[in-house]
Amino acid sequence: MSAAPSAPASRPDSARPDKPPPPPFVLWGSLGLIALTLVLGWDWEYGIGFSLRDIYDNLGRHNPVLEGVRNLDWSTLASPTVLAGFAETFQMAAIATILGGIVALPLALLNSVTGAPNTFVYVAVKNFNSFIRAIPDLIYAVFFVAAIGRGALPGVLALFFLSVAVIAKLTSDIVDGIDQGPVESARASGASHTQMVKTAVLPQILPGYTSFALYTFEINLRGSAVLGFVGAGGIGEVFSNYYQRGWYDRLVAVVIGFFVVVFVVDRISIAVRKRLL
Amino acid sequence: MAQTPTGGMTDAQAQQRSEAIVRPEKPFNRFRWTVTITLLTLFFVTSATVDIELTQLAALPERTLFYLGLMYTPPDVTEAPSAITAMIESLGMAWIGTMIGALVSFPLAFLAATNLFGKPVVFAARQVLNFFRSVPEIVFLILLLPVTGLSPVTVALALGISSIGTLGKLGAEVIEGIEGGPVEAAAAAGGGRLQRIRWAVIPQVIPEIVALWLYRFEINIRNSAVAGAVGAGGIGTLLVRQIGQVREWAAAGTSLAIMVIITLIVDTISGRVRRRIIRGPTRAVDLGANAGEQPEGTGPGAGPKREGPTGSVGGGAVVPV
Repeated sequence: MSAAPSAPASRPDSARPDKPPPPPFVLWGSLGLIALTLVLGWDWEYGIGFSLRDIYDNLGRHNPVLEGVRNLDWSTLASPTVLAGFAETFQMAAIATILGGIVALPLALLNSVTGAPNTFVYVAVKNFNSFIRAIPDLIYAVFFVAAIGRGALPGVLALFFLSVAVIAKLTSDIVDGIDQGPVESARASGASHTQMVKTAVLPQILPGYTSFALYTFEINLRGSAVLGFVGAGGIGEVFSNYYQRGWYDRLVAVVIGFFVVVFVVDRISIAVRKRLL
Repeated sequence: MAQTPTGGMTDAQAQQRSEAIVRPEKPFNRFRWTVTITLLTLFFVTSATVDIELTQLAALPERTLFYLGLMYTPPDVTEAPSAITAMIESLGMAWIGTMIGALVSFPLAFLAATNLFGKPVVFAARQVLNFFRSVPEIVFLILLLPVTGLSPVTVALALGISSIGTLGKLGAEVIEGIEGGPVEAAAAAGGGRLQRIRWAVIPQVIPEIVALWLYRFEINIRNSAVAGAVGAGGIGTLLVRQIGQVREWAAAGTSLAIMVIITLIVDTISGRVRRRIIRGPTRAVDLGANAGEQPEGTGPGAGPKREGPTGSVGGGAVVPV
Protein backbone atom coordinates (compact mmCIF):
# COMPACT_ATOMS: atom_id res chain seq x y z
CA MET A 1 0.00 0.00 0.00
CA SER A 2 2.93 2.26 0.63
CA ALA A 3 4.35 1.75 -2.85
CA ALA A 4 2.94 5.11 -3.94
CA PRO A 5 5.48 7.62 -5.20
CA SER A 6 5.82 10.28 -2.56
CA ALA A 7 6.35 13.16 -4.99
CA PRO A 8 6.21 13.66 -8.74
CA ALA A 9 9.63 13.00 -10.22
CA SER A 10 9.63 16.27 -12.14
CA ARG A 11 9.56 18.42 -9.03
CA PRO A 12 12.92 19.51 -7.64
CA ASP A 13 13.70 18.07 -4.22
CA SER A 14 14.20 21.46 -2.64
CA ALA A 15 10.55 22.38 -3.26
CA ARG A 16 9.35 19.67 -1.01
CA PRO A 17 8.95 20.72 2.60
CA ASP A 18 10.59 18.58 5.25
CA LYS A 19 8.34 16.07 6.86
CA PRO A 20 7.74 17.20 10.43
CA PRO A 21 8.90 14.76 13.11
CA PRO A 22 6.07 12.81 14.77
CA PRO A 23 4.64 14.48 17.86
CA PRO A 24 6.03 12.99 21.10
CA PHE A 25 2.65 11.48 21.97
CA VAL A 26 2.49 9.58 18.68
CA LEU A 27 6.13 8.48 18.93
CA TRP A 28 5.97 7.29 22.54
CA GLY A 29 2.48 5.90 22.07
CA SER A 30 3.57 3.73 19.16
CA LEU A 31 6.69 2.59 21.00
CA GLY A 32 4.52 1.81 24.02
CA LEU A 33 2.15 -0.31 21.93
CA ILE A 34 5.06 -2.27 20.47
CA ALA A 35 6.73 -2.69 23.87
CA LEU A 36 3.47 -3.91 25.43
CA THR A 37 2.98 -6.41 22.62
CA LEU A 38 6.52 -7.75 23.07
CA VAL A 39 6.33 -7.93 26.88
CA LEU A 40 2.94 -9.66 26.94
CA GLY A 41 3.51 -11.84 23.89
CA TRP A 42 7.05 -13.05 24.62
CA ASP A 43 7.68 -16.47 26.11
CA TRP A 44 8.76 -15.55 29.65
CA GLU A 45 7.31 -15.39 33.12
CA TYR A 46 4.85 -12.59 32.39
CA GLY A 47 4.14 -13.26 28.72
CA ILE A 48 1.86 -15.79 27.07
CA GLY A 49 4.55 -17.05 24.66
CA PHE A 50 2.87 -16.30 21.36
CA SER A 51 4.57 -17.97 18.44
CA LEU A 52 3.34 -18.20 14.86
CA ARG A 53 5.71 -21.10 14.35
CA ASP A 54 4.04 -23.18 17.07
CA ILE A 55 0.63 -22.44 15.60
CA TYR A 56 1.87 -23.40 12.13
CA ASP A 57 3.38 -26.63 13.44
CA ASN A 58 0.15 -27.49 15.21
CA LEU A 59 -1.90 -27.01 12.05
CA GLY A 60 -0.34 -30.15 10.65
CA ARG A 61 -1.42 -32.31 13.57
CA HIS A 62 -4.40 -34.58 13.65
CA ASN A 63 -7.38 -32.24 13.72
CA PRO A 64 -10.55 -33.61 15.35
CA VAL A 65 -12.49 -30.45 14.52
CA LEU A 66 -12.01 -30.79 10.77
CA GLU A 67 -12.89 -34.44 11.08
CA GLY A 68 -16.09 -33.39 12.87
CA VAL A 69 -16.85 -30.93 10.08
CA ARG A 70 -16.47 -33.72 7.53
CA ASN A 71 -18.88 -36.05 9.35
CA LEU A 72 -21.43 -33.54 10.63
CA ASP A 73 -24.16 -35.19 12.66
CA TRP A 74 -27.19 -33.03 11.88
CA SER A 75 -29.54 -35.38 13.71
CA THR A 76 -28.15 -34.03 17.00
CA LEU A 77 -29.98 -30.78 16.40
CA ALA A 78 -33.30 -32.57 16.80
CA SER A 79 -32.33 -34.42 19.98
CA PRO A 80 -34.30 -33.51 23.12
CA THR A 81 -31.19 -32.36 25.04
CA VAL A 82 -30.20 -29.88 22.34
CA LEU A 83 -33.75 -28.56 21.88
CA ALA A 84 -34.10 -28.16 25.64
CA GLY A 85 -30.74 -26.38 25.71
CA PHE A 86 -31.86 -23.89 23.06
CA ALA A 87 -35.17 -23.33 24.84
CA GLU A 88 -33.41 -22.72 28.14
CA THR A 89 -30.99 -20.29 26.51
CA PHE A 90 -33.95 -18.29 25.20
CA GLN A 91 -35.69 -18.34 28.56
CA MET A 92 -32.57 -17.28 30.44
CA ALA A 93 -31.82 -14.50 27.98
CA ALA A 94 -35.40 -13.20 28.03
CA ILE A 95 -35.75 -13.10 31.81
CA ALA A 96 -32.30 -11.60 32.30
CA THR A 97 -32.86 -8.93 29.65
CA ILE A 98 -36.21 -7.83 31.05
CA LEU A 99 -35.10 -7.76 34.69
CA GLY A 100 -31.74 -6.23 33.76
CA GLY A 101 -33.47 -3.59 31.66
CA ILE A 102 -35.72 -2.58 34.56
CA VAL A 103 -32.79 -2.27 36.98
CA ALA A 104 -30.49 -0.60 34.44
CA LEU A 105 -32.78 2.36 33.65
CA PRO A 106 -32.44 4.13 37.03
CA LEU A 107 -28.74 3.20 37.17
CA ALA A 108 -28.25 4.78 33.73
CA LEU A 109 -30.10 7.96 34.74
CA LEU A 110 -28.13 8.34 37.96
CA ASN A 111 -24.88 7.67 36.09
CA SER A 112 -25.16 11.01 34.29
CA VAL A 113 -24.76 14.60 35.39
CA THR A 114 -28.21 15.53 34.09
CA GLY A 115 -30.04 12.58 35.58
CA ALA A 116 -28.42 12.44 39.03
CA PRO A 117 -29.89 14.65 41.76
CA ASN A 118 -26.42 15.50 43.13
CA THR A 119 -22.73 14.80 42.63
CA PHE A 120 -22.54 12.30 45.44
CA VAL A 121 -25.18 10.04 43.89
CA TYR A 122 -23.59 10.49 40.47
CA VAL A 123 -20.14 9.40 41.64
CA ALA A 124 -21.48 6.55 43.77
CA VAL A 125 -23.64 5.10 40.98
CA LYS A 126 -20.90 5.59 38.40
CA ASN A 127 -18.47 3.57 40.50
CA PHE A 128 -21.11 0.95 41.23
CA ASN A 129 -21.75 0.52 37.49
CA SER A 130 -18.03 0.24 36.77
CA PHE A 131 -17.73 -2.39 39.46
CA ILE A 132 -20.60 -4.48 38.03
CA ARG A 133 -19.06 -4.17 34.59
CA ALA A 134 -15.61 -5.25 35.74
CA ILE A 135 -16.74 -8.77 36.66
CA PRO A 136 -17.21 -11.07 33.65
CA ASP A 137 -20.45 -13.07 33.33
CA LEU A 138 -18.61 -16.38 33.69
CA ILE A 139 -17.38 -15.33 37.13
CA TYR A 140 -20.87 -14.34 38.25
CA ALA A 141 -22.05 -17.72 37.00
CA VAL A 142 -19.38 -19.74 38.81
CA PHE A 143 -20.09 -17.84 42.02
CA PHE A 144 -23.84 -18.44 41.90
CA VAL A 145 -23.42 -22.08 40.90
CA ALA A 146 -21.19 -22.59 43.93
CA ALA A 147 -23.61 -20.68 46.17
CA ILE A 148 -27.00 -22.07 45.13
CA GLY A 149 -26.28 -25.07 42.92
CA ARG A 150 -26.37 -25.84 39.21
CA GLY A 151 -29.24 -24.95 36.89
CA ALA A 152 -30.78 -22.08 35.00
CA LEU A 153 -30.99 -19.69 37.98
CA PRO A 154 -27.25 -18.96 38.29
CA GLY A 155 -27.22 -18.49 34.50
CA VAL A 156 -30.10 -16.02 34.68
CA LEU A 157 -28.30 -14.13 37.45
CA ALA A 158 -25.03 -13.97 35.48
CA LEU A 159 -26.85 -12.70 32.38
CA PHE A 160 -28.81 -10.28 34.57
CA PHE A 161 -25.60 -8.60 35.73
CA LEU A 162 -24.27 -8.60 32.17
CA SER A 163 -27.50 -6.94 30.98
CA VAL A 164 -27.43 -4.32 33.72
CA ALA A 165 -23.82 -3.48 32.83
CA VAL A 166 -24.46 -3.19 29.09
CA ILE A 167 -27.80 -1.35 29.18
CA ALA A 168 -26.74 1.05 31.95
CA LYS A 169 -23.53 1.94 30.15
CA LEU A 170 -25.04 2.46 26.71
CA THR A 171 -28.08 4.33 28.04
CA SER A 172 -26.11 6.63 30.34
CA ASP A 173 -24.05 7.59 27.30
CA ILE A 174 -27.16 8.89 25.56
CA VAL A 175 -28.40 10.58 28.73
CA ASP A 176 -25.17 12.58 28.69
CA GLY A 177 -25.84 13.68 25.14
CA ILE A 178 -29.52 14.63 25.23
CA ASP A 179 -30.85 18.01 24.12
CA GLN A 180 -30.60 20.25 27.20
CA GLY A 181 -33.45 22.52 26.03
CA PRO A 182 -36.32 20.50 27.54
CA VAL A 183 -34.28 20.03 30.74
CA GLU A 184 -33.85 23.78 31.09
CA SER A 185 -37.47 24.56 30.35
CA ALA A 186 -38.62 21.95 32.87
CA ARG A 187 -36.36 23.49 35.51
CA ALA A 188 -37.42 27.02 34.58
CA SER A 189 -41.08 26.13 35.04
CA GLY A 190 -40.31 24.92 38.53
CA ALA A 191 -40.23 21.16 38.05
CA SER A 192 -38.71 19.05 40.79
CA HIS A 193 -35.78 16.83 39.83
CA THR A 194 -38.04 13.79 39.44
CA GLN A 195 -40.55 15.72 37.33
CA MET A 196 -37.73 17.06 35.18
CA VAL A 197 -36.33 13.55 34.59
CA LYS A 198 -39.79 12.20 33.82
CA THR A 199 -40.83 14.90 31.37
CA ALA A 200 -37.55 16.12 29.88
CA VAL A 201 -35.05 13.23 30.04
CA LEU A 202 -37.06 10.01 29.75
CA PRO A 203 -38.89 10.85 26.50
CA GLN A 204 -35.55 11.61 24.88
CA ILE A 205 -33.81 8.40 25.92
CA LEU A 206 -36.62 5.84 25.71
CA PRO A 207 -36.13 4.90 22.04
CA GLY A 208 -32.39 4.40 22.56
CA TYR A 209 -32.91 2.56 25.80
CA THR A 210 -35.43 0.13 24.26
CA SER A 211 -33.10 -0.43 21.36
CA PHE A 212 -30.18 -1.22 23.69
CA ALA A 213 -32.35 -3.61 25.67
CA LEU A 214 -33.18 -5.53 22.50
CA TYR A 215 -29.52 -5.54 21.56
CA THR A 216 -28.73 -6.93 25.01
CA PHE A 217 -31.06 -9.83 24.34
CA GLU A 218 -28.71 -10.91 21.54
CA ILE A 219 -25.69 -10.39 23.77
CA ASN A 220 -27.35 -12.62 26.35
CA LEU A 221 -28.04 -15.32 23.77
CA ARG A 222 -24.37 -15.33 22.84
CA GLY A 223 -23.28 -15.02 26.46
CA SER A 224 -25.30 -18.05 27.46
CA ALA A 225 -23.00 -20.22 25.34
CA VAL A 226 -20.21 -20.05 27.90
CA LEU A 227 -22.24 -20.32 31.11
CA GLY A 228 -23.02 -24.01 30.70
CA PHE A 229 -19.33 -24.79 31.09
CA VAL A 230 -19.58 -24.00 34.80
CA GLY A 231 -23.01 -25.60 35.20
CA ALA A 232 -25.20 -22.52 34.75
CA GLY A 233 -27.62 -23.97 32.21
CA GLY A 234 -28.53 -23.19 28.62
CA ILE A 235 -27.07 -24.40 25.34
CA GLY A 236 -23.59 -24.06 26.86
CA GLU A 237 -24.18 -27.28 28.78
CA VAL A 238 -24.52 -29.07 25.45
CA PHE A 239 -21.35 -27.39 24.14
CA SER A 240 -19.49 -28.31 27.31
CA ASN A 241 -20.71 -31.88 27.26
CA TYR A 242 -19.81 -32.53 23.61
CA TYR A 243 -16.49 -30.73 23.95
CA GLN A 244 -15.45 -32.82 26.93
CA ARG A 245 -16.36 -36.04 25.16
CA GLY A 246 -14.68 -34.91 21.98
CA TRP A 247 -17.87 -35.37 19.94
CA TYR A 248 -16.93 -32.79 17.38
CA ASP A 249 -19.29 -34.14 14.71
CA ARG A 250 -22.20 -33.22 16.98
CA LEU A 251 -20.57 -30.13 18.48
CA VAL A 252 -20.01 -28.45 15.12
CA ALA A 253 -23.60 -29.21 14.10
CA VAL A 254 -24.94 -27.56 17.27
CA VAL A 255 -22.56 -24.63 16.78
CA ILE A 256 -23.94 -24.09 13.27
CA GLY A 257 -27.49 -24.34 14.60
CA PHE A 258 -26.64 -21.81 17.31
CA PHE A 259 -25.12 -19.48 14.75
CA VAL A 260 -28.27 -19.63 12.61
CA VAL A 261 -30.47 -18.92 15.64
CA VAL A 262 -28.37 -15.92 16.69
CA PHE A 263 -28.28 -14.66 13.11
CA VAL A 264 -32.06 -14.82 12.73
CA VAL A 265 -32.65 -13.11 16.08
CA ASP A 266 -30.11 -10.48 15.09
CA ARG A 267 -31.97 -9.72 11.83
CA ILE A 268 -35.36 -9.50 13.57
CA SER A 269 -33.90 -7.31 16.30
CA ILE A 270 -32.28 -4.95 13.79
CA ALA A 271 -35.61 -4.59 11.98
CA VAL A 272 -37.43 -3.80 15.23
CA ARG A 273 -34.72 -1.38 16.36
CA LYS A 274 -34.87 0.51 13.06
CA ARG A 275 -38.60 0.86 13.56
CA LEU A 276 -38.05 2.11 17.12
CA LEU A 277 -35.62 4.89 16.34
CA MET B 1 -49.13 6.30 29.11
CA ALA B 2 -52.54 7.35 30.34
CA GLN B 3 -55.18 7.11 27.70
CA THR B 4 -57.52 9.82 29.01
CA PRO B 5 -57.03 13.31 27.63
CA THR B 6 -56.94 14.80 31.12
CA GLY B 7 -54.57 12.22 32.59
CA GLY B 8 -51.93 13.59 34.94
CA MET B 9 -53.67 16.94 35.42
CA THR B 10 -53.77 17.84 39.09
CA ASP B 11 -53.51 21.60 39.44
CA ALA B 12 -56.96 23.20 39.60
CA GLN B 13 -55.84 26.29 37.80
CA ALA B 14 -54.37 24.32 34.99
CA GLN B 15 -57.60 22.40 34.86
CA GLN B 16 -59.57 25.57 34.47
CA ARG B 17 -57.32 26.88 31.79
CA SER B 18 -57.39 23.63 29.91
CA GLU B 19 -61.15 23.81 29.75
CA ALA B 20 -60.82 26.94 27.69
CA ILE B 21 -58.14 25.50 25.44
CA VAL B 22 -58.89 22.03 24.22
CA ARG B 23 -55.96 19.79 25.09
CA PRO B 24 -55.03 17.59 22.14
CA GLU B 25 -55.63 13.92 22.69
CA LYS B 26 -52.51 11.88 23.31
CA PRO B 27 -51.87 9.84 20.19
CA PHE B 28 -52.27 6.11 20.62
CA ASN B 29 -48.94 4.47 19.92
CA ARG B 30 -49.88 1.02 18.76
CA PHE B 31 -46.26 -0.05 18.26
CA ARG B 32 -45.28 0.86 21.81
CA TRP B 33 -48.23 -1.04 23.22
CA THR B 34 -47.45 -4.09 21.12
CA VAL B 35 -43.88 -4.08 22.42
CA THR B 36 -44.96 -3.64 26.04
CA ILE B 37 -47.54 -6.39 25.94
CA THR B 38 -45.23 -8.77 24.08
CA LEU B 39 -42.50 -8.20 26.67
CA LEU B 40 -44.83 -8.76 29.62
CA THR B 41 -46.21 -11.94 28.09
CA LEU B 42 -42.72 -13.13 27.24
CA PHE B 43 -41.54 -12.48 30.77
CA PHE B 44 -44.37 -14.32 32.47
CA VAL B 45 -44.36 -17.25 30.07
CA THR B 46 -40.61 -17.77 30.31
CA SER B 47 -40.53 -17.30 34.07
CA ALA B 48 -43.31 -19.83 34.49
CA THR B 49 -41.68 -22.42 32.26
CA VAL B 50 -37.98 -22.04 33.01
CA ASP B 51 -36.38 -24.79 35.05
CA ILE B 52 -35.77 -22.86 38.28
CA GLU B 53 -36.64 -24.32 41.62
CA LEU B 54 -38.29 -21.92 44.01
CA THR B 55 -36.23 -23.29 46.90
CA GLN B 56 -33.12 -22.20 45.01
CA LEU B 57 -34.53 -18.72 44.56
CA ALA B 58 -35.55 -18.50 48.20
CA ALA B 59 -32.06 -19.49 49.37
CA LEU B 60 -30.38 -16.93 47.11
CA PRO B 61 -30.01 -13.87 49.38
CA GLU B 62 -28.89 -15.85 52.41
CA ARG B 63 -26.43 -18.04 50.46
CA THR B 64 -24.99 -15.08 48.60
CA LEU B 65 -24.31 -13.19 51.82
CA PHE B 66 -22.92 -16.32 53.45
CA TYR B 67 -20.37 -16.96 50.69
CA LEU B 68 -19.47 -13.29 50.37
CA GLY B 69 -18.79 -13.50 54.09
CA LEU B 70 -16.48 -16.47 53.56
CA MET B 71 -14.69 -14.50 50.83
CA TYR B 72 -14.14 -11.27 52.69
CA THR B 73 -14.04 -11.88 56.44
CA PRO B 74 -11.13 -11.69 55.93
CA PRO B 75 -9.79 -12.41 52.42
CA ASP B 76 -6.71 -14.61 52.20
CA VAL B 77 -4.07 -12.18 50.99
CA THR B 78 -1.33 -14.82 50.88
CA GLU B 79 -2.78 -15.83 47.52
CA ALA B 80 -2.43 -12.32 46.10
CA PRO B 81 0.84 -12.93 44.16
CA SER B 82 -0.60 -15.87 42.21
CA ALA B 83 -3.71 -13.81 41.42
CA ILE B 84 -1.59 -10.96 40.11
CA THR B 85 0.43 -13.34 37.93
CA ALA B 86 -2.81 -14.84 36.60
CA MET B 87 -4.22 -11.37 35.92
CA ILE B 88 -1.09 -10.42 33.97
CA GLU B 89 -1.60 -13.57 31.91
CA SER B 90 -5.19 -12.46 31.26
CA LEU B 91 -3.95 -9.04 30.18
CA GLY B 92 -1.51 -10.79 27.84
CA MET B 93 -4.24 -12.89 26.25
CA ALA B 94 -6.45 -9.80 25.89
CA TRP B 95 -3.70 -7.64 24.40
CA ILE B 96 -2.31 -10.22 21.95
CA GLY B 97 -5.89 -11.12 21.00
CA THR B 98 -6.67 -7.47 20.35
CA MET B 99 -3.57 -7.11 18.18
CA ILE B 100 -4.57 -10.18 16.15
CA GLY B 101 -8.07 -8.78 15.73
CA ALA B 102 -6.63 -5.36 14.81
CA LEU B 103 -4.34 -6.80 12.13
CA VAL B 104 -7.05 -8.89 10.47
CA SER B 105 -9.86 -6.36 10.81
CA PHE B 106 -7.85 -3.43 9.43
CA PRO B 107 -8.08 -4.36 5.75
CA LEU B 108 -11.61 -5.75 6.21
CA ALA B 109 -12.81 -2.40 7.58
CA PHE B 110 -11.80 -0.70 4.31
CA LEU B 111 -13.51 -3.36 2.23
CA ALA B 112 -16.69 -2.89 4.28
CA ALA B 113 -16.81 0.90 3.83
CA THR B 114 -19.45 2.00 1.31
CA ASN B 115 -17.53 5.12 0.31
CA LEU B 116 -14.51 3.15 -0.87
CA PHE B 117 -15.78 -0.03 -2.48
CA GLY B 118 -18.74 -1.13 -4.55
CA LYS B 119 -21.81 -2.91 -3.27
CA PRO B 120 -20.74 -6.54 -3.89
CA VAL B 121 -17.42 -6.10 -2.06
CA VAL B 122 -19.01 -4.24 0.85
CA PHE B 123 -21.77 -6.82 1.14
CA ALA B 124 -19.31 -9.72 1.19
CA ALA B 125 -17.03 -8.01 3.72
CA ARG B 126 -19.98 -7.18 5.98
CA GLN B 127 -21.18 -10.77 5.95
CA VAL B 128 -17.72 -11.93 6.99
CA LEU B 129 -17.71 -9.38 9.82
CA ASN B 130 -21.23 -10.37 10.88
CA PHE B 131 -20.13 -13.98 11.08
CA PHE B 132 -17.27 -13.17 13.44
CA ARG B 133 -19.57 -10.99 15.51
CA SER B 134 -22.35 -13.53 16.00
CA VAL B 135 -20.18 -16.41 17.17
CA PRO B 136 -19.27 -16.26 20.88
CA GLU B 137 -15.65 -16.50 22.04
CA ILE B 138 -16.19 -19.83 23.73
CA VAL B 139 -17.15 -21.42 20.41
CA PHE B 140 -13.95 -20.24 18.71
CA LEU B 141 -12.05 -21.40 21.78
CA ILE B 142 -13.36 -24.96 21.82
CA LEU B 143 -12.93 -25.26 18.06
CA LEU B 144 -9.30 -24.09 18.30
CA LEU B 145 -8.30 -26.03 21.42
CA PRO B 146 -7.82 -29.43 19.81
CA VAL B 147 -5.56 -27.84 17.21
CA THR B 148 -3.40 -25.37 19.13
CA GLY B 149 -3.64 -26.89 22.59
CA LEU B 150 -4.83 -25.80 26.03
CA SER B 151 -2.80 -22.62 26.42
CA PRO B 152 -3.17 -18.85 26.78
CA VAL B 153 -2.09 -18.52 23.14
CA THR B 154 -5.24 -20.37 22.06
CA VAL B 155 -7.34 -18.01 24.16
CA ALA B 156 -5.58 -15.04 22.55
CA LEU B 157 -6.37 -16.49 19.12
CA ALA B 158 -10.02 -17.01 20.04
CA LEU B 159 -10.31 -13.47 21.44
CA GLY B 160 -8.57 -12.15 18.33
CA ILE B 161 -10.88 -13.94 15.93
CA SER B 162 -13.98 -12.79 17.74
CA SER B 163 -12.66 -9.20 17.86
CA ILE B 164 -12.47 -9.08 14.05
CA GLY B 165 -16.22 -8.58 13.65
CA THR B 166 -16.69 -5.62 15.99
CA LEU B 167 -13.41 -3.93 15.11
CA GLY B 168 -14.10 -4.27 11.38
CA LYS B 169 -17.65 -2.99 11.64
CA LEU B 170 -16.79 0.00 13.83
CA GLY B 171 -13.71 0.68 11.70
CA ALA B 172 -15.88 0.75 8.57
CA GLU B 173 -18.19 3.26 10.27
CA VAL B 174 -15.21 5.48 11.07
CA ILE B 175 -14.05 5.26 7.45
CA GLU B 176 -17.50 6.15 6.18
CA GLY B 177 -17.43 9.30 8.29
CA ILE B 178 -14.30 10.83 6.72
CA GLU B 179 -14.06 14.15 4.92
CA GLY B 180 -14.32 13.78 1.15
CA GLY B 181 -11.88 16.64 0.42
CA PRO B 182 -8.54 14.85 0.80
CA VAL B 183 -9.82 11.87 -1.21
CA GLU B 184 -10.85 14.17 -4.06
CA ALA B 185 -7.52 15.93 -3.89
CA ALA B 186 -5.66 12.62 -4.07
CA ALA B 187 -7.87 11.55 -6.98
CA ALA B 188 -7.29 14.89 -8.76
CA ALA B 189 -3.55 14.41 -8.37
CA GLY B 190 -3.92 11.10 -10.17
CA GLY B 191 -3.91 8.76 -7.18
CA GLY B 192 -5.31 5.28 -7.70
CA ARG B 193 -7.59 3.61 -5.20
CA LEU B 194 -4.76 2.27 -3.03
CA GLN B 195 -2.96 5.62 -3.11
CA ARG B 196 -6.15 7.44 -2.18
CA ILE B 197 -6.61 5.08 0.75
CA ARG B 198 -2.99 5.40 1.84
CA TRP B 199 -2.70 9.18 1.60
CA ALA B 200 -6.25 10.47 2.04
CA VAL B 201 -8.16 7.93 4.11
CA ILE B 202 -5.70 6.29 6.52
CA PRO B 203 -4.33 9.55 7.96
CA GLN B 204 -7.89 10.63 8.75
CA VAL B 205 -9.03 7.42 10.38
CA ILE B 206 -5.95 6.07 12.14
CA PRO B 207 -6.49 7.89 15.47
CA GLU B 208 -10.03 6.65 15.84
CA ILE B 209 -9.13 3.15 14.72
CA VAL B 210 -6.31 2.94 17.27
CA ALA B 211 -8.79 4.18 19.88
CA LEU B 212 -11.10 1.34 18.84
CA TRP B 213 -8.28 -1.15 19.43
CA LEU B 214 -7.76 0.13 22.95
CA TYR B 215 -11.47 0.03 23.55
CA ARG B 216 -11.60 -3.56 22.35
CA PHE B 217 -8.67 -4.37 24.63
CA GLU B 218 -10.77 -3.27 27.59
CA ILE B 219 -13.57 -5.58 26.46
CA ASN B 220 -11.16 -8.43 25.82
CA ILE B 221 -9.80 -8.21 29.37
CA ARG B 222 -13.29 -9.15 30.54
CA ASN B 223 -13.77 -11.66 27.74
CA SER B 224 -10.48 -13.38 28.59
CA ALA B 225 -12.32 -14.91 31.56
CA VAL B 226 -13.74 -17.33 28.99
CA ALA B 227 -10.49 -19.25 29.44
CA GLY B 228 -11.85 -20.29 32.81
CA ALA B 229 -14.53 -22.37 31.11
CA VAL B 230 -11.93 -24.78 29.76
CA GLY B 231 -9.03 -24.14 32.14
CA ALA B 232 -6.75 -22.37 29.66
CA GLY B 233 -5.11 -20.00 32.16
CA GLY B 234 -5.46 -16.46 33.37
CA ILE B 235 -7.55 -15.03 36.19
CA GLY B 236 -10.71 -16.69 34.84
CA THR B 237 -9.22 -20.15 35.31
CA LEU B 238 -7.93 -19.25 38.76
CA LEU B 239 -11.34 -17.99 39.89
CA VAL B 240 -13.25 -20.94 38.42
CA ARG B 241 -10.88 -23.28 40.27
CA GLN B 242 -10.96 -21.37 43.56
CA ILE B 243 -14.71 -20.84 43.60
CA GLY B 244 -16.09 -23.75 41.64
CA GLN B 245 -13.69 -26.60 42.30
CA VAL B 246 -11.50 -26.36 45.39
CA ARG B 247 -13.75 -23.81 47.10
CA GLU B 248 -11.01 -21.73 48.65
CA TRP B 249 -13.39 -18.85 49.29
CA ALA B 250 -10.98 -16.57 51.13
CA ALA B 251 -8.39 -16.91 48.38
CA ALA B 252 -11.10 -16.36 45.77
CA GLY B 253 -12.05 -13.13 47.52
CA THR B 254 -8.52 -11.84 47.00
CA SER B 255 -8.41 -12.95 43.37
CA LEU B 256 -11.76 -11.34 42.62
CA ALA B 257 -10.70 -8.06 44.22
CA ILE B 258 -7.43 -8.05 42.30
CA MET B 259 -9.23 -8.77 39.04
CA VAL B 260 -11.70 -5.92 39.57
CA ILE B 261 -9.03 -3.43 40.67
CA ILE B 262 -6.63 -4.16 37.80
CA THR B 263 -9.49 -4.15 35.27
CA LEU B 264 -10.63 -0.73 36.49
CA ILE B 265 -7.09 0.67 36.51
CA VAL B 266 -6.43 -0.51 32.96
CA ASP B 267 -9.84 0.89 31.90
CA THR B 268 -8.97 4.29 33.32
CA ILE B 269 -5.55 4.43 31.68
CA SER B 270 -6.87 3.16 28.37
CA GLY B 271 -9.82 5.55 28.48
CA ARG B 272 -7.50 8.53 29.02
CA VAL B 273 -5.20 7.47 26.20
CA ARG B 274 -8.21 7.06 23.90
CA ARG B 275 -9.53 10.50 24.69
CA ARG B 276 -6.07 11.96 24.17
CA ILE B 277 -5.79 10.16 20.81
CA ILE B 278 -9.16 11.38 19.57
CA ARG B 279 -9.31 14.89 20.97
CA GLY B 280 -5.65 15.80 20.57
CA PRO B 281 -3.44 17.60 23.07
CA THR B 282 -4.96 21.08 23.27
CA ARG B 283 -7.86 21.27 20.89
CA ALA B 284 -11.10 21.32 22.82
CA VAL B 285 -13.10 20.24 19.79
CA ASP B 286 -14.25 16.70 19.60
CA LEU B 287 -13.21 15.49 16.18
CA GLY B 288 -16.66 14.15 15.58
CA ALA B 289 -15.77 10.79 17.01
CA ASN B 290 -18.75 8.73 17.81
CA ALA B 291 -17.48 5.30 17.02
CA GLY B 292 -18.35 3.52 20.19
CA GLU B 293 -19.95 0.17 20.53
CA GLN B 294 -23.29 0.97 19.09
CA PRO B 295 -25.56 -1.78 18.03
CA GLU B 296 -26.31 -2.02 14.37
CA GLY B 297 -29.49 -0.18 13.52
CA THR B 298 -28.75 2.70 15.85
CA GLY B 299 -25.65 3.59 13.89
CA PRO B 300 -23.49 6.66 14.27
CA GLY B 301 -25.42 9.84 14.72
CA ALA B 302 -28.60 8.05 15.66
CA GLY B 303 -28.19 9.33 19.18
CA PRO B 304 -27.01 12.83 19.88
CA LYS B 305 -23.27 13.26 20.03
CA ARG B 306 -21.81 13.82 23.38
CA GLU B 307 -18.77 15.09 25.14
CA GLY B 308 -19.66 13.66 28.47
CA PRO B 309 -17.34 13.23 31.40
CA THR B 310 -17.47 9.47 30.99
CA GLY B 311 -16.29 9.71 27.37
CA SER B 312 -14.86 6.46 26.19
CA VAL B 313 -14.30 6.28 22.45
CA GLY B 314 -15.66 9.82 22.27
CA GLY B 315 -19.26 8.79 22.57
CA GLY B 316 -18.60 5.12 22.72
CA ALA B 317 -19.16 2.78 25.54
CA VAL B 318 -17.21 0.21 27.42
CA VAL B 319 -19.30 -2.85 27.23
CA PRO B 320 -18.39 -6.46 27.71
CA VAL B 321 -19.63 -7.50 24.34
